[in-house]
This record gives sequence, structure tokens and C-alpha cells, in this order.
Amino acid sequence: MNVWKRLLVAALLLTALGGLFVHEDATADARTPYPEPHELAADYDGYVGETVLVFGTVTGVDGSEIRIEAESEGVTIDLRVASASTAVEPGGVVQVYGELRPGQQMVAQNVAVVNDSSGAEWYKYAVSAVGALGFLVVFLRQWRLDRETWTMEARDG
Amino acid sequence: MADLLSHLLVAYALFTVASWRVRWLDHRWVVVGMGGVAIPDLVKVDIVLDADAAGSALGIPLSYAPLSTVGGVLLVAGLIALAFERDNWRRVYGLVVAGGLSALVGDGLRVYADGRASAWLYPLSNWRPPTPSLYVSSDPLVLVAALVVAAVVFAVDRNRRTT
Repeated sequence: MNVWKRLLVAALLLTALGGLFVHEDATADARTPYPEPHELAADYDGYVGETVLVFGTVTGVDGSEIRIEAESEGVTIDLRVASASTAVEPGGVVQVYGELRPGQQMVAQNVAVVNDSSGAEWYKYAVSAVGALGFLVVFLRQWRLDRETWTMEARDG
Repeated sequence: MADLLSHLLVAYALFTVASWRVRWLDHRWVVVGMGGVAIPDLVKVDIVLDADAAGSALGIPLSYAPLSTVGGVLLVAGLIALAFERDNWRRVYGLVVAGGLSALVGDGLRVYADGRASAWLYPLSNWRPPTPSLYVSSDPLVLVAALVVAAVVFAVDRNRRTT
């Protein structure tokens, strides 16, 4: 199969992927039963009493209360989370599952610490970069690009 | 998601164990399968090109979330297969999909505060599978566990080759 036919198939696959990108965004509510931060910010009182899951960055810790900032679609909302007895620093990322109370307060049923500080996020990216580099080295020891056909070819074959 | 290195090590272990039964699955093909685990991580393209910004530039809202789902793995694996010779497409596609699925399953074991993983079966299903909440993605113990598993498999594999 020549390069142009392959590019055509690639274009078709990319178009399908783009279709999924759009479809997923349009139908996201079917997969996330909870309001997103920008929806909370737009009509907080409408959601009071609901039990929701919120992903947020910790902006402050005060005893068993933490303050988090959640963001979606460029809109942020600040929430105070009561009974969040968990070890986390400002800059960390948490998931809070709990009930929304008036005044942008949540009572947590469960708090999961995703990153206990902003350093934890860097750890993940650094280790992932090591993985990516290591993979490239291992891959290119087995395969090489054939510049005539523009395909990957086994080195020993 | 767990870090990429842990995903790669787990995939190395899975494919190497499979290679004990599947004769054509030599090291060169194990490496191809390992590459599949990176597909769900492509969702991080958001850091370089924000989905909301890209959506407003194109005039249609979009989300990169499908990259971390079955649908994204099936499509991107096709793109990867195209980079190989025609005779190898099926093999590459199968291996890369298997690698991608191993990463999705691994990510599906992560902690969710409400006990349900993300709907990674999309677009086949909107269902959020229950998660045992085994780990959070920045937990170094994940990497330690993956290293131990990969090291054991490496040792057994080497032993099988020399005997």
C-alpha cells in the first residue's frame, strides 16, 4: 500500500477520533452523574442537598476543614469542605465526595487525596518522562524507519 | 493515570508471560505491544493544546477524554499500525490494542472517592465500573510494585531462555 493510501486511511481514523472528541463532549452528562464546577458556579443553590464528586486543588487547610478550588471550562468555584480529616497541603489535589450545603460548603463523606502536594504531580510527570525515554530507546533498538517506504522495519529482519 | 513507567513495566510483564506460549511473540513484538500503554496518556495533550481553546477556535466544543477510553485506543492503535508494513498490520494492531487496554484496566483500579472509575468503556458503554480504589496515580508504591513484577518476569524469562 503506497504512502498516499496510508495517509488517506490515517485521515479517516483521525476524522473518526475527532468525531469522538466532539461526541464525548456533547454527551458527557451521560457518563458523569455529577454537576461540573462551572455548573455549580452558575447555579450553586440549585444543587444544594445533592451528593456530588468534586475534583479540586487545595488552597487552604484549617484543622479538619480544607478549602478547595475546582475548575471546568475556564470557570472556578471555591468550596469549603468540612470533616475532611486528611493529610494534604495547599497545592495538593483531592477528590471530595459529599453533600453540598448552603454557602458553598460541603460535608465530606469521603476524601481521596490524589496528590498530597504539588510535588506529587511533578513526581508523576518525571517518572513518566523516564518511561517515555526508556521506551523510545528500547523501541529503536528493535525497529528502524525505512525511508523508502516510510514504514517501521525490524532491525534484524 | 498511573505513571507511564509503571504502565510500561506491567505491559512488559504481561506480554513476556504471553510470549512463553505464543511463539512469534519475541522481544521485538513485546516492545510494540508495550507502546500501546501510552495511548490513554495522550489525553495530556491538553497541557499543550487546551481542549476548551481548541474547541472555541474550531467553533465546536470538544474533549480529549476519549483518548483514555476503549474508543480512543481502538482508533489510535489503527494509526500506529499504519506506520508498519502492510503484512504486520494485524499483529501490530492487536498488540497495541492489548497494551492500551492493559493501561485502561490498570487506571480503572485507581481511587475514586465515590467508588466508581471513569467510563473508560466509552463509546461501547457509559457505565462506570466499580473500582477497588487500589492506588492514587502519584503513589510511588505503584512504581515499586511494577518494578518488582517486571524484575521477577525478566528473571524467569532469562532463565527459560538459557535452559
